[in-house]
Amino acid sequence: MKAPFSTYLNAMAPGLKKLIGLLRERYDYVSVLSTDSVGFQVSISQRAKSVARETMTTERGTVVRVCRDGLYSEAAFTGFDPENPGVFFREITEELDAQLELLRETGTQPYETAVLPDGERRIFAEMETERLPENEDMAALVTRLSEISDEGVRTGENLIDCMLRASSTHICKLFLTERQDLRQSYVYSEGLVSALASLDGRTEMAYTTVSGRCGPELFDSLRDKLPEVLRIAGDLLRSERVEPGEYDVITSPEVTGLIAHEAFGHGVEMDMFVKGRALGAAYIGKRVGSDLVTMHEGALCAVDVASYAFDDEGTPAGDVTEIENGILRTGICDALSALRLGTVPTGNGKRENFAHKVYTRMTNTVFDSGTNTLEEMIASIPKGYLLQGMQSGMEDPKHWGIQCIIDRGYEILDGKLTGKVVSPLVMTGYVPDLLNSVSMVSGDRETFGSGGCGKGHKEWVKVSDGGPYLKAKVRLG
Amino acid sequence: MMESWNRLIEVLRTSGADAWEAADVMEKGWEFYFIRHRLDQNRSRRVRNFNVRIYRRFEDGKYLGSAGAKIPADAPEEEMRRIVADLCRNAEYVRNPAYTLNPPVPAENTEEEKKPDVRAISADFLRALQAVPETETEDLNSFEIFVSEIRRHFMNSEGIDVTADYPSSMLEAVVNARKEGREIELYRLYHSGSCDEKQVIRDLSETLRYGRDRLNTVPTPALGKADVVFSTDAAREIYDWFISRMSAELVVRGVSDWKIGQDIQDGGEGDRVTARALRKLPNSSRNAAYDSEGAPVRDLTLIADGRAEHYFGSRQFSQYLRLEDSFIAGNFEITGGSATAEELREGPCLEVVEFSDFQVDSITGDLAGEIRLAYWNDGGKRIPVSGGSVSGSMRELAKTMRFSSAGRQFDNYRIPEVTRLKNVTVTGIRETEST
Repeated sequence: MKAPFSTYLNAMAPGLKKLIGLLRERYDYVSVLSTDSVGFQVSISQRAKSVARETMTTERGTVVRVCRDGLYSEAAFTGFDPENPGVFFREITEELDAQLELLRETGTQPYETAVLPDGERRIFAEMETERLPENEDMAALVTRLSEISDEGVRTGENLIDCMLRASSTHICKLFLTERQDLRQSYVYSEGLVSALASLDGRTEMAYTTVSGRCGPELFDSLRDKLPEVLRIAGDLLRSERVEPGEYDVITSPEVTGLIAHEAFGHGVEMDMFVKGRALGAAYIGKRVGSDLVTMHEGALCAVDVASYAFDDEGTPAGDVTEIENGILRTGICDALSALRLGTVPTGNGKRENFAHKVYTRMTNTVFDSGTNTLEEMIASIPKGYLLQGMQSGMEDPKHWGIQCIIDRGYEILDGKLTGKVVSPLVMTGYVPDLLNSVSMVSGDRETFGSGGCGKGHKEWVKVSDGGPYLKAKVRLG
Repeated sequence: MMESWNRLIEVLRTSGADAWEAADVMEKGWEFYFIRHRLDQNRSRRVRNFNVRIYRRFEDGKYLGSAGAKIPADAPEEEMRRIVADLCRNAEYVRNPAYTLNPPVPAENTEEEKKPDVRAISADFLRALQAVPETETEDLNSFEIFVSEIRRHFMNSEGIDVTADYPSSMLEAVVNARKEGREIELYRLYHSGSCDEKQVIRDLSETLRYGRDRLNTVPTPALGKADVVFSTDAAREIYDWFISRMSAELVVRGVSDWKIGQDIQDGGEGDRVTARALRKLPNSSRNAAYDSEGAPVRDLTLIADGRAEHYFGSRQFSQYLRLEDSFIAGNFEITGGSATAEELREGPCLEVVEFSDFQVDSITGDLAGEIRLAYWNDGGKRIPVSGGSVSGSMRELAKTMRFSSAGRQFDNYRIPEVTRLKNVTVTGIRETEST
């Protein structure tokens, strides 16, 4: 079935168009983004259960973007009344005028930017899903997740608890200008199975996730993840500390995705180019990785949680080749940064929600596949680790440092896995060193879309990342 | 026409729910985004939402189910009734051991707060950022100012009806330093109630100084094990590990195994941690008189001289531990240190002042962070270094940690000014590698 577009937003649209007309009398550019996204999150454990009719991305509200004399301003609000756009026109202009008065008092000068183009565009996208979160049978879902949790603690060794989380969101967004009318509706879902285990005073948490641009049907297969989580819990309880040093490693698709995200995901967000905060600006056309490294970014380059039809500035979704055979080709860009840099937007202007500012943000960031098998890659390593599972990562676009906290490393000696596990691992290094060391790439690839991505330490949005297995040389601590 | 909040309360009262909680949260916010000192964008926000939780009792009160939702404040009554009816049904499926909601209890120390003023606070931030002592080689690359006045009106079916007005602010600043064609940046994110101009200028001046030093770093030596000194807000993560393990929820969930009366530092020879929840800290963003469930917030000792004393947390998990007067704490203070900052910097040690992201895992106690700027103190020399990482486990490091008696505040945490962890793993990098 197609995920139906919001009847609420359809009802708001005529009033919002009148508001745009009123604002256009004062401003050189006016656009409106209005959202109405619903969903649920169910959390099940042996100790506590909860249901919430909200997720990280459920929202209802409106943001108006205006431009006058080269300065862009925005007003975000809830409770728009389509019968009284004049009331909102007055509130918006009074509030923004009050801000400008303060800015004048403090002698602030604007960073002047040209007026965004406003060509004719119509998009109406209702994407496929099997089920909708708003219609999901919650009793059946809670029962199913509870049974998995019960089975986990019954069959797992040293388990304190087995937790499951399932969330599904039906996104609806309406973007309007004088000449544009864009409407999209899609559903994404994500699930998590985790196990809390303890042995001899040591407590560890193991987890695995699923995600997709699909409905709650995603959770029908969560049970299949349980054996893997129980195995990981056992691995973590018997894990040792790694001897700090430089190693040959194979990164699993999840770790590969984390590298993609932290290395050249954040590193080529071009709003950072405007501020002179990204080293990538000086490396376009230059080598940043081995010939085996090709990386794509865009809502169209994979189907996962961030695969939308248009971004939060009304730019259609794209697919950008950021790195081609080791050469940095281009970055990703929101619409205002594109104007400032004299380039084109790539469909990567995203907000945490309607009340937040647009930044250049990732969607799906994925390394291309190669031709090797995982078995060949393991056999090629005299001493090293197969890295699996991620805990967190941190970008450093200015200096191309990288920090990834990896869940586990499985020791490889003389081309064979020994069964020894090390955890956790802090992987650090210089991004081009890491990418230039990529010497083998597997033929498969996966994407992962659970959790959220921040810019610095705020502005959380949904992204996915992934790729194949990579063989590289990294520093572990 | 009935105001939407009153309409919601009426819907809740007639919903058939056994109990309910509702919060009307209104936020008026001003935001200013700068590139260098030029205004990139100004934004305003006026956002209102209702947070609702419905409770149902089952099997003669043995079990309690609940379901929550955020309801748009402009939702028509029909939509409110539909959402609340859905929640009533959903609450049937998640039966937890029974507990009761908070009863109305007056808060201590509820003197009238000055109503927040976003314009005045914004002006303070704008002035403070203009007054940062930049030079030709150290300056602000960009900064973002977020100022909000928030009104939160909370009611529940037990009779609680409280309202709080408070400011909430955030400042993100990126600092550049450059020398001989090379430029570096340092990142800062500050949370606070309103704007303390002097504090902002002092912290950013310190960051400019760190920027200058980062230009003169050498690669971090491969130390193996070393004492590591923390003197910036990364240290909050260390103390947050102690505090989170006193959370009733983590205890009930089996994540924390700390028992009341237990020596949580295992008889170690280091300084003994005393951790207190505080009703108020100057200019904290968490100075509410009542927590999010309507319980009055007060001063409470969580850890005394290295021994677990009181758990704290939400009503549900506190009642599972038979705590009747608990609350969700927002402000914390750590004391118990015996040394001066100077004493803690004596002898060979690595003082890390910039991490890319320093974290302490609340479950395992594992700590990790990539070093962006540190000072290697050895034999009277203080050498700026960068690259590599620190790692270890608080389960072991807590036994021998030392910290200063003097404190320093980071938003809702007042923690020792300097903390020294012994025998931390330091992964250095070779001289030949880039940093």
